[in-house]
Amino acid sequence: MNRAGFAEILSRLADHEVKFIVVGMTAGALQGAPVTTIDVDIVHSRDPENVGRLLRALGELDAVYRHDPRGLRPTESHLLSEGHQLLRTKHGDLDCLGTIDQGRGYDDLVPHTVEMSLDDGKKIKVLDLPGLIEAKERAGRPKDLAALPVLRATLDETTRRKP
Amino acid sequence: MPDPTPRGQDEPASPEIDEAGVDRAQIRAMLDLSPEERLRVMEAFRDSVLAIRGANEPGGVR
Repeated sequence: MNRAGFAEILSRLADHEVKFIVVGMTAGALQGAPVTTIDVDIVHSRDPENVGRLLRALGELDAVYRHDPRGLRPTESHLLSEGHQLLRTKHGDLDCLGTIDQGRGYDDLVPHTVEMSLDDGKKIKVLDLPGLIEAKERAGRPKDLAALPVLRATLDETTRRKP
Repeated sequence: MPDPTPRGQDEPASPEIDEAGVDRAQIRAMLDLSPEERLRVMEAFRDSVLAIRGANEPGGVR
């Protein structure tokens, strides 16, 4: 079976040693929730050196703003901001989020992550299920609340499997 | 949660739907996969939906 495009995106970011956390429904899917989404959401460290590494990875992925017909590429100032950069890459859509959940950035979220391995052995950080559930509860929008039953059930099943 | 054991030769097993309406068997099947396999399941579904959507847009290939 071909490699998932989302996995290619995450692997390229790891290649460039970008500090990032997978959030949103891709984080849920990675941890076993039977959900789907059409983009990968990450929160990246806004440390200038990390933003430089992220820019190099995004260049390799041919990332452009997906809602801008001019094919604009993200810049350092965009990625240093708290804002959300909605991009299209050659492997699929990627949202680079400066912060989520009322201003929480990379350093705030790191304690609430799990480390997961891709098939090529690369390690990535993923917002854990309790953290994801909490973020969805706080966001409180209908689409967030709709995701809660399946995320809670996945957390419950995961907890039952632990020895 | 309903008992998933088949009840008779011609009767299907009850689905494992919890009180919130979530199919627990689907979750257990996902948990049996590796993280990257889970991504492939998600993308296969996404691609199928997008293909059907594209085919139903004006001018789409049917």
